[in-house]
Amino acid sequence: MTQNNEQLEVNFFKSVDKHFKANRKLILTLAIIWAVAVFGFQFLLMALEEPTPEKSYSVFQSVWEDMQNENATFESKKDFAITTLLVLGKNVVLNPEHKPILKESFSWAIYSMQPDSIKYLFNSEPSVESINQTISSLELDEDGLDKILRDLIPSSLIAVNSENLSDNCKEQIPSIMSLYLIHNQSELTNFTFLGFPFHYWYTAQFLLIMFVILCLIYAVLIEKINKKHDFVEET
Amino acid sequence: MSTLKKIFLILISSLIFNNIFYAQSATQLEGDFKVGPAIILILMLLLFIIVGIFNRAKDTSTYWAAGRKISPVGAGMAIASNWMSAASFLGMAAIMYTTGYHGLSYVVGWTGGYVLLLILMAGQIRRYGKYTAADFIGDRYYSQGLRGFGAGVAIFISFSYCVGQFAGIGLMFKWILGIDYVTAVIIGASVVLAYTLISGMLGVTKNMQIQYVIIIVSFLIPLFILAYKFGYFFWLPQVGYGELVSDIVNGLAPGKGITALGHDLSILPSPEFAMPWDPATGQTAFQWIAICFSLMIGTAGLPHVIQRFYVVPRARDARWSVVWGLFFICLLYWSAPVYSAFGKVLSSNPEVGTLASDAIVVYTAQLGDVFPLIVGLLAAGAISAAFSTVSGLLVAGASAFSHDIYYRVINPQATEKKQMLMARVGTILMAAAVAIVALLNLGLIAQLVAVAFSLAGCTIFPLFLLGIWWSGSNRSGAWAGLIAGSTVSVIALVYFIVGKFGGSLPAQEFFNYYLNAWYFAIFGAPIAIITNIVVSKMSKNKTPVEIQKFLAEKVHNYKSK
Repeated sequence: MTQNNEQLEVNFFKSVDKHFKANRKLILTLAIIWAVAVFGFQFLLMALEEPTPEKSYSVFQSVWEDMQNENATFESKKDFAITTLLVLGKNVVLNPEHKPILKESFSWAIYSMQPDSIKYLFNSEPSVESINQTISSLELDEDGLDKILRDLIPSSLIAVNSENLSDNCKEQIPSIMSLYLIHNQSELTNFTFLGFPFHYWYTAQFLLIMFVILCLIYAVLIEKINKKHDFVEET
Repeated sequence: MSTLKKIFLILISSLIFNNIFYAQSATQLEGDFKVGPAIILILMLLLFIIVGIFNRAKDTSTYWAAGRKISPVGAGMAIASNWMSAASFLGMAAIMYTTGYHGLSYVVGWTGGYVLLLILMAGQIRRYGKYTAADFIGDRYYSQGLRGFGAGVAIFISFSYCVGQFAGIGLMFKWILGIDYVTAVIIGASVVLAYTLISGMLGVTKNMQIQYVIIIVSFLIPLFILAYKFGYFFWLPQVGYGELVSDIVNGLAPGKGITALGHDLSILPSPEFAMPWDPATGQTAFQWIAICFSLMIGTAGLPHVIQRFYVVPRARDARWSVVWGLFFICLLYWSAPVYSAFGKVLSSNPEVGTLASDAIVVYTAQLGDVFPLIVGLLAAGAISAAFSTVSGLLVAGASAFSHDIYYRVINPQATEKKQMLMARVGTILMAAAVAIVALLNLGLIAQLVAVAFSLAGCTIFPLFLLGIWWSGSNRSGAWAGLIAGSTVSVIALVYFIVGKFGGSLPAQEFFNYYLNAWYFAIFGAPIAIITNIVVSKMSKNKTPVEIQKFLAEKVHNYKSK
């Protein structure tokens, strides 16, 4: 290649022009900060995350074996029913295929808690009696999170026509429970900042602030670089 | 003057009068025809047209001259209003509402790309001095064929960008007019088409700044009200909702307030809303990264975004308008997650039923019992956001068709009049085709718009990146890279469409995951860039000296010592 051609070649990594080099240094610095702040942080989240169960998941685990073997106590059935209700409360994220299984399991647990004399209440669609009976079996309060659970009952009860929990439920419930009740958490997600879980604040707000600042820094510094190297922008 | 006053009085009284009735039915989320919001919408569209008439650009030179007078702050508002569409206004909150932290990849992706655009391209594109993306490609790679192909790709990108917008327009018309979605899309499409044909003759000028103000004001007001009503820090709801996010994670007992439907503002512990790539949402960490990356490079490759820098009179203004533009965009992006968080809690009662998540912004305001006319303004703001983007895209797509393809390739003898006619016909055909695709309900608004970003990231972005920063990239490399990027795009879209209609191709699951329609640029863009480099290196056909010289001296301003 001739001298002339080398001077004309534009190559981000090879140029000899002084202004170009200064510009490149600025671009690379900002791009690295940008990439590390955006993607580096997400990789850090991945590296630190631990599958963390909600409290109700351990409750579920402690009663599930007895539920499967059909020798659960009244208390265990109650705990089981409440955990299924807690998952049914997740509403928007629930996979429509999982809803009937959760409802069936919940209704069956309530049904099996009842004395034989009133079991018939649960053989048909939910009624005022069956709903009230459910509330009293679960000993739900009138306020606090219990009130939300109460509100969920009418849409969660279905007619029960079997003395045993179906095999389909037995098979699917453990994976459904772990799907909805175990979350990727770490120090970064547990610590709060301005009320936010830290990682949420970082991604939803800090990164955007940083983007604006990076643009501002570039706009200021490139003007200085242009001045220093007598770079004429307009012709 | 007196007639104007009369009309004004009638409008105002009908607003107040209507409100009495409307307030009664506020608890109904969908309901019938809503007079108040409809009047707001009509007034808003009239305002845009009237402002357009008063600021009419008489010919192309005054059009650019008007641009010269605009301050970087004003230009920043124009960038922001051009950028913010139904995807920002409705789509982002919707995707966060359903998938939580996953949706933040859209928030970050649609803002972070501006950093790349600014530091890698804005100034250089401005100094290159062409008018359209296809012009740049044709000139830099000295090929009419590439120019035509580039124009075709640009039209296709505009097309897919419009599909999501039409879905948003349809949803809002459905809400305002109380009709079914199909009719709403057809009516919405006709209105936007009429608006485009009328305003297309008027030029843009001041409109974009007014549109920005309307979009941001209508979006922010309900948030202050919601935060105030439910006892969160309302002076700055963008910070105040932090506590709400933590309440969603830990569960919120009743006692903070009542929704418009009479339920408590309360929710069971739902960490899946905030925890990263929660299994319950069905989204993985790879998908987060892939969407974020695709949207970012797509931003720096979208023809209608890049095009804005050709017309800025000075490179310095181009840079500062990006800084301001990004700030104005971020005002909305800081706020959109607030809607998803309130929406999540307000709609958590099972009696609310399943809501169309793409309309969650409006439903949230309704469920929060925000004054109905303000909800109407919010819906009109969403339509305004979609309109400003769609009319720009339809005009750009149609002019690419009439100028870059019809005039340059098909019929070089075409008169100016014939070209104008082709542009009109192009606009109408494109709007009709977009409306048909929007009716297929292929995905959420944000996802549909993301397709356009991946397309741009696979095709246009590599050509600009290498074209500006490496004179070694030549025609053969450009062709090879563009074909590689387009092939990946076609594969991704074919697999997507076949899957959507219940079919299955070999390795359907593999492609559906790794080359998903929402983020195929994660692999497509690197493949296109590498192909371009390898073929350029292998090819004997070097970039002509004039172009190398132009790039070195004009674009990068090498000192010829």
